[in-house]
Amino acid sequence: MSFVLLIPLFLLAAALIVLIGPDDTRDLRAKIAAYPIGAACCGAIGTLSVVAMQGPISIRFYDPGSVASLVFPIGFYIDRLSAVMMTLIAGVSTLIFVYSTGYMYQDRHVRRYLALICFTDFVLICMVSSANLMMLFLFWQILSYLLYLLAHNHEHPATLKGAFNTFTLLRVADAAFLAGIVLAYHVYGTLEFQELFARATERPVVLSFWPGLDISAATAVTLLIFIGAMGKSAQFPLHFWLPRSLYAPTPVHALLHAGIINAGGFLINRLAPLFGLSSTTLHVAFAVGTLTAILGATMMLAQNDIKKTLGFSTIGQMGYMIMECGLGAFSLAVFHLIAHGLFKATVFLNCGNVIHKARQEPHVPHADPQEEEENFSPLAWSTGFVTTLVIPLVILLVTHGVLRIPLLESQGTVIFLFFIWLTSSQAILTLTRLRAIASWKVSSAMLLTLLFIVFVYLFAVESFTAFLYPDQAEVASYFQAADLPNWMFDGIVLMATIMTILSWCYLYMQAHGRTIWMPQWVSRWVQGGRNGLYVLFMNRLYADELYQLLGRTVMRIVHRFDKRERGWSR
Amino acid sequence: MIDATLIPWILAGVPLLGAALSPALWSQPHRLMAWSVGVCAVSLATVVGFAGSLTTPPEGLLLLFLLPLTAGVSLLGQPHHPDHRASWVLTLIFLSLGLGALTSQPVIGKLFLMAIHGFVIVLLYRHHTELWPISWWGLGAYTLGALCLVLTLVGAPPLSSMAALLACTILLPVVPFHDGHLTALTRLPGNLPSFMVLLFPALGLHSLTPLAATLPEPVVWMMSFLALAGTVYGAIKALAQSRVRLLLAYSSLSLFSMLWWCVVTSRSATPRAALFVGAVGLVMCGLLIAWQIIRTRYGDDVDPQAISGLASTMPQYAVLLSLLALAAMGLPPFGVFAGFMGLLLSSTAAFSAGIVVLVSAWLAASWYILGLVQGLLFGARRTDLRHADLLQTELVSLIILVLTLLALGVMPISFFGPDRATPPAGANSGSLAWNR
Repeated sequence: MSFVLLIPLFLLAAALIVLIGPDDTRDLRAKIAAYPIGAACCGAIGTLSVVAMQGPISIRFYDPGSVASLVFPIGFYIDRLSAVMMTLIAGVSTLIFVYSTGYMYQDRHVRRYLALICFTDFVLICMVSSANLMMLFLFWQILSYLLYLLAHNHEHPATLKGAFNTFTLLRVADAAFLAGIVLAYHVYGTLEFQELFARATERPVVLSFWPGLDISAATAVTLLIFIGAMGKSAQFPLHFWLPRSLYAPTPVHALLHAGIINAGGFLINRLAPLFGLSSTTLHVAFAVGTLTAILGATMMLAQNDIKKTLGFSTIGQMGYMIMECGLGAFSLAVFHLIAHGLFKATVFLNCGNVIHKARQEPHVPHADPQEEEENFSPLAWSTGFVTTLVIPLVILLVTHGVLRIPLLESQGTVIFLFFIWLTSSQAILTLTRLRAIASWKVSSAMLLTLLFIVFVYLFAVESFTAFLYPDQAEVASYFQAADLPNWMFDGIVLMATIMTILSWCYLYMQAHGRTIWMPQWVSRWVQGGRNGLYVLFMNRLYADELYQLLGRTVMRIVHRFDKRERGWSR
Repeated sequence: MIDATLIPWILAGVPLLGAALSPALWSQPHRLMAWSVGVCAVSLATVVGFAGSLTTPPEGLLLLFLLPLTAGVSLLGQPHHPDHRASWVLTLIFLSLGLGALTSQPVIGKLFLMAIHGFVIVLLYRHHTELWPISWWGLGAYTLGALCLVLTLVGAPPLSSMAALLACTILLPVVPFHDGHLTALTRLPGNLPSFMVLLFPALGLHSLTPLAATLPEPVVWMMSFLALAGTVYGAIKALAQSRVRLLLAYSSLSLFSMLWWCVVTSRSATPRAALFVGAVGLVMCGLLIAWQIIRTRYGDDVDPQAISGLASTMPQYAVLLSLLALAAMGLPPFGVFAGFMGLLLSSTAAFSAGIVVLVSAWLAASWYILGLVQGLLFGARRTDLRHADLLQTELVSLIILVLTLLALGVMPISFFGPDRATPPAGANSGSLAWNR
C-alpha cells in the first residue's frame, strides 16, 4: 500500500522540476512537470478504487502511543473520504497546471508561480490524507501562508494588502484551531483520529467555565475547531479575505475555489464523529452557514465585477455547505463541495474568455431590457409557476415514497428539500426573466430537465452517502444530533414556503406592470430601504472598511500604549 | 579516558584558547574572522565528542550544541571590517564562559555567569551614549543580576533561592526585568547581539531548571502572572516598533515569557523547553543577521520602510529571510512551532486562560513579523538603490540557520534528551475545571 506515498511525492517532484534548472529550459520543464502531476491524478484514482474495495490505508512513521513523537507525526490515513478528496484535488490540479502553463506563459515569475501551484497541491494532498490532527494542522497552516504567496504580484500595492489581510485573517482562525487541538489533547490525551473519536464517545467530559456554566468538552473542542474551518471556508464574519484575494492570477482562483476553500468542509467531515457528539456546535454551524449563504448570495447579486461575483457566489456556496454540515448531512456537504469545485474551477478558467469577449463586444453581457419586455411570454411564466409551486410537492412525495428517505424522522432532509425548492425557484425565475420562451417544446424540456436533474441528484447523493458512510446508523445519528427545536424547524419550513410564494407573486406582478397598493410613506420607505440595501450589499456590507477601521483602532491603541509606557521606543 | 571533572574546563578552554591566540591575527581581519569561525567549529566538535561523557541535565544537551553553532553563524554573517574585530574575540570569550556555565558544577557555573555579567556590564558601559539614556536601566539590570549571583553563593535559603530566581529573570527575560535583554540586543557591538539572544536565555533556562520544582505556590502564581504580562507586553510593544532590533527584542521577550509560563506552571523544564529556547534564539539570531546585512549595505540608520522590493533584486536574501520569518511566526515545519506545540501539549497545567493568552501572542507574531518582512521584500522595487545579493559567508550563515531550524522542527524530541513528559491530567479524568 506504500504506493500512495508516491502521490504527494509526484507533486513535490513536479515542483522541483519546475523550480530547478536553467532559464532557457523553463518551458520544457513546465511541460515535463505536467506528467508527474498527471501520474499523481492517476494514483489518486487508483487509491480511490483500492480504498473502496479493500478498506482504509494506514501508514505511520511514528509510534502513536509516544508523546515524544507528537511534534511532527508524519502518517497517512486514507479512507474513502480522503481518497475522494485526493482524486478531486489531483484532478483539478492537473487541469489547472496545464492551463497555467499557457496562461502564465509570458509572466516574469512563471517559474515561482508554477512551483507554488505544485507545492500547494502537495500540501493539500498531505492535508487530506493526514493520520492525525497534528499533521492536518501542520499542513493547514502552511496552506495559510501559501495563500499569501499565491497572490503572486507582490509589487502591486492592492495585491500585497489583500495578501496580508488574507494571511492575518486566516491566522486568527488558525489560532482558534490550535486552541482546539490543545484542548482536545488535554481532555482526551490523543490526537489520533480513531482514538480521539473512541475516547470522546466513551468518556464524556464536562468543562466548568464558571460555577453553573458547564460545557461538554466535545462542544468546546468542536467549536474552536469550527472557527478554524470558518476561516478557510470563508464563513461570515471571517469571509473578508476571499474577495480581497481576487487580484491573484485566474488559475489560482480556480485552485482556491475548487480545492483550498473546501478545506473547512473536509475538516468537519474528517471530525464528523466528534462533531456528531455536539448538537450545540452543529446548530452554530447551521446558523453561521445559513447566514453566510444568504449574505454571500445577496452580495453576489449586487457585484459588478465578474471575479467578485464569482467570489461571493463561492462564499454563498460554502455557507450552504457548512449549513449542510450543521444539519448533520456530512456526506451531502462533500458531494456539494465536489460539484461546486468542478463547476467553479470551470467557470473561473473560462472567465478570462468572457472578459475578453466583453471587451470586444459592447453588448456583452448586458441584456436589452426593452427587448426583454417585448418578448414576455405567458407560457414561460406558466412553466415557471408549475416548476416553482407544483414540482416540489411531487419531489417530496416521490422522495418519501419511492426513494424511501425517512422525511418524517429527518428534519435535515426536509430542510434541504425546501432549500432545493427555494434555489430552483430562483433559478427558474431568473431564466424566465432573462429569456422569453414561447414554445411548448422548450417549456417541456425545461420541466423534464429539472425533474431529471433533481432525481439524479437525489439518487447520486443517496449513493454517495452510502459510499462515504456505509453505516446507516452513523448517518442517522448525525441527523439526530443536528435536530433543531420543533418551533425552529417549523419556522424555517414555513418561512421558505412563504418567501418562495411571495417572491413569485412579486415578480409576476412586476412583470405585468402591476403594483401592490400601499400608503405613500410606506412606498417611499420600501423604495428607500431597497436602494439602501442595494448600496449596502454592493459595498459588501462595508466589511473591508470595518476591517480597516478595526486594524487602525488596534494600532492606535498599541501606539498610545507604546508612547505612554516608559521604554525604548522613544 | 579523561576525568569527567575536566570536561567542562576543556569545553570552556577551547574557545578561550582561540580568543587568547587571536591577537596574532589582529592586523588581518579576514584571517581573524576565519580563525574565529574555525574555533567555533572545533568547539562544536569538542562538545559533540564529549557529549556522551557529560551528565545530561533535565533540559537536555541541545543548548550546549547550539551555543558554538550560533557563535560561528553570527560571526559568519558579519562584514569583514576591522571595527568588528573586538566583537569577534569577545564572542569566543562569551562562548567559553557560556559552555563553562552550562557544563560545570553549580558553584563554578555561577562564577562563570558572574564573569559573563561582568563583561556585559563593561561592554554596555563602553557603548553607552547620551542619546540612549534608557540603556542605564539595562546596565542596572545586569548589575542586579551579578549581585543576585553573589547572593546565591553567600546567602542562605530562602534568600539565595529568591536571588537565584531573580538572576534567572534577567537572563531569561520577563517583565519587569527585561531591560537588560533589550539593552544587550540593541546596544552591544558587532555580532554580539545575534549571539547573546541565544546565550543569555540558554543560561537562564539552565539556571531555572533546578529551581522550577522547588518554587513555592505564591511565587509560582506571581511568576505566572508576570510571564503572561510579559507575553502580552512584548507582543504589543513589538507591534508598535519601527526599529527592527527593538521589534526583535520585544518579540523575543514575548516568546521567552511564554516559556516562563509553561515552566513555572508545570514546575519543570524539559527538553521541549530547551528546544523552544534554542529555536527562538536561533531564529532571532537569523533575523538580526539578516538586518545586519541590510545595515551593511544601506547604512546604520536605514528605515526598513524605505527599502522595498528586495524579492526581485536580492532573491537569495529574500528566500532565506522569508524562511526565517516563517519560523519566527511559529509556522511549521520549523523549530519554533515544534517547541511551542511541545510546550503546550506537554504542559501539565489545565487548559486555561493562560493558554489563550499564549495563543493570542503567537497570533500577534504573524502580524508584526510579516509586516516587517513584507515591507522589505515586497512592494515597489527601488531602482535608485544599488542592490547586491548575499556574499558567500552571509549566504552560508543564513542557510545553516534555516537548516538547523528545520532540523529542530522535524527531529524527535527524544533525540535531544530523555523526554519526561507525562500524558495530560485530563486524559484520565471524567471532568475538568476551567483554570481561571
